Amino acid sequence: MSRRRLTLRAAALTLLVACCALRAAEGASEGERIYREGLQASGEPLRAERGTGLSLTGAAAACINCHRRSGLGMKEGRTSIPPVAGSYLYHPRAGEVDDLDLPFVEGMRADRDPYTDATLAQAIRTGIGADGKPLGYLMPHYALGDEDMAALIAYLRHLSPGKVPGVTEQLLHFATVVTPDADPVTRAGVLDVLEQFFADKNHYRRGDAPRLRSSRRMMFKAFRTWQLHVWELHGAPETWEAQLRDYQGKQPVFAVISGVGGRDWSPVHRFCEAQSLPCLFPNVDLPVAAEGQFDNLYLSKGVLLEAGLVAHDVAAQKSAGGTARIVQVFRTDDVGREAARELATRLAPEGVTSSEMGVVPGTGSAALKKALRKVRPGDALMLWLRAGDLAMLGAPPKGVTMIYVSGRMGGLEASPLPGAWRALTRMAYPFDLPDARRVRVDFPMGWFRIRDIPVVAQQAQVDTWMACGIVSDALNHMADTFVRDYLVERIEEMLEHRLVTGYYPRLALAPNQRFASKGGYIVRFAAEHGTRIVAQGEWITPP
Amino acid sequence: MNRYSLSIALFAALLVLPAARAGDATGAMHEGAYMPGAAVAATRVQSVSYEVPDVKLLREDGHLVSLPQEMNDGRAVVLNFIFTSCGSTCPLMSQVFAAFQRKLGADAAGVHLMSISIDPEEDTPARLLEYAHQFGAAPGWQHYTGTLEASLTAQRAFDIYRGDKMSHAPATLMRAAPGQPWVRIDGLATPDDLLQQYKRLVAAK
Repeated sequence: MSRRRLTLRAAALTLLVACCALRAAEGASEGERIYREGLQASGEPLRAERGTGLSLTGAAAACINCHRRSGLGMKEGRTSIPPVAGSYLYHPRAGEVDDLDLPFVEGMRADRDPYTDATLAQAIRTGIGADGKPLGYLMPHYALGDEDMAALIAYLRHLSPGKVPGVTEQLLHFATVVTPDADPVTRAGVLDVLEQFFADKNHYRRGDAPRLRSSRRMMFKAFRTWQLHVWELHGAPETWEAQLRDYQGKQPVFAVISGVGGRDWSPVHRFCEAQSLPCLFPNVDLPVAAEGQFDNLYLSKGVLLEAGLVAHDVAAQKSAGGTARIVQVFRTDDVGREAARELATRLAPEGVTSSEMGVVPGTGSAALKKALRKVRPGDALMLWLRAGDLAMLGAPPKGVTMIYVSGRMGGLEASPLPGAWRALTRMAYPFDLPDARRVRVDFPMGWFRIRDIPVVAQQAQVDTWMACGIVSDALNHMADTFVRDYLVERIEEMLEHRLVTGYYPRLALAPNQRFASKGGYIVRFAAEHGTRIVAQGEWITPP
Repeated sequence: MNRYSLSIALFAALLVLPAARAGDATGAMHEGAYMPGAAVAATRVQSVSYEVPDVKLLREDGHLVSLPQEMNDGRAVVLNFIFTSCGSTCPLMSQVFAAFQRKLGADAAGVHLMSISIDPEEDTPARLLEYAHQFGAAPGWQHYTGTLEASLTAQRAFDIYRGDKMSHAPATLMRAAPGQPWVRIDGLATPDDLLQQYKRLVAAK
């Protein structure tokens, strides 16, 4: 290609980029589809090749796989994926990274010529960088037409970190969400922990500490006051999303931290996805387990995980001549309905049928007794019931082969399940065992004790404290790179090697993984009374 | 950048590569063409002895199998460690395995390609099977998961474990027959790298 033609082509590209930048504001732009989904404007899958003749198409070729949703890159082992958000590509050459007026991210470079639209297009197509040197071996060479290229470049420019709602020079705003049907005791306990954590966090920020400017490579505290906003929801779940938009409109926050839910958390989940607002580790029994979600992170799948644990155990019993039918009892206004459906779906391929008995809320022991009459000899029984209901159970049904209870709902080892039920009962226990977790739980328990925080809902309070700690650590790693997607990506990356200070044996996330603890135990009570439990076998991670 | 300097860069890369790779891989460690930011894979090849740990792993077909038995069935073994949620290096490693398997041609029947998950809690046999399918794995290439402990034991035995899955670094291990030393290729090997090493290994057997 002659120099003159190259110049003409570059000018045309610049014009196209400008047009695309204007259009980028309207919903999912063409550039975004290339970047995130690997789809060209024509709907055809993106095509790329690596130097050694290996080809990539579609989602496997999408930029997001390596450069991440934030466009700020990542580090995987010794492989450093550089940022591709526009400001990191177009910045003028600088002596060293510290001289750049850009938020620090791993893999950013100061010592190269700035990209132009033309050299960037060349890099994407041929793998030759702005300085004329070949890019890393991982970077594919893309077959992109001029219009698609312009759309992609406009999108990269749009990814540049800018002003973020909820972040000022002095303040970092967070919200926590409480639904009207949240358990009042858990609510009080969780809010105590959150308020104290924020107070502690800000305690050290007396006066106006100077900003640390040098040595950006070092982790340093971003000296901003953390401010907590409690977003209390009212009325019916259908109105919650509007209420949340209203809260966010009045005082935007950088992220939602913890929170307390009841029967339905999905409006909060949907709001966070729609607003691209990180929603980090709320206390909910029933999280939203849809595919392709990004902003909502959970500590576990809650009762859906318990359904997996029970299904695993029922299937194991079945090979030893177990049961052909399971009766599932739940209150119609609680999360047991969804848990029961999940268990039924998981047991169907095993040839175990499910009979579901919804009990009307507010009714007493007679209503429960009536539901239990459904159990025939040879059936198994699953109780998706809260501690209060378990406490008023009469005699166990005759001829029942096995009884399962939900640990989360039934109060774990402190469950008031009557003695006569215990010999027959197994509990889904989606946490580490009490003896094994004791040392890890001592961290928050000591913290609560010193600060006179009453322990009223231990597991939720410990989870809340841990969620705060995780977010705080991730923000320390981020320095002052306040980008919401980047916060989520940092948590994904750092969680696995962070000390677990709570109920779980291990926490880990990754791209497309949204539930940090992935397994649990099936346990039984050691005696008719007391809280001693024994694991039936190993830690289970249901598929 | 003009066309002239581009050709120079490419020509230089072509010159450096075969020279650096021509050395004998077995025996002493040697450095491959290590060029940071280069368009070709930077690899390091060495010969190492590993003891295959006696662990049980869950194969992609749902069978619980013994790792030593999987490795000692008479075929040569080519091994890597991956996880299915991995965005950058693992898909490339799996693509390289697929291309290597195709390039083996008629020799493929004598080679057992094995990929062990370093994220066993997430990577169920079903997920691994789907992953294998996605990369067009032919029958001689199988994926393994299992308990966290079993995966960690395997990772440690082959010096793969780097603290957590996000810190993992790409490596391929190759062995002609039980009792023989392993050839370890650190870095992102190309299908031709693997083929070359494999042929050298079989010739030395």
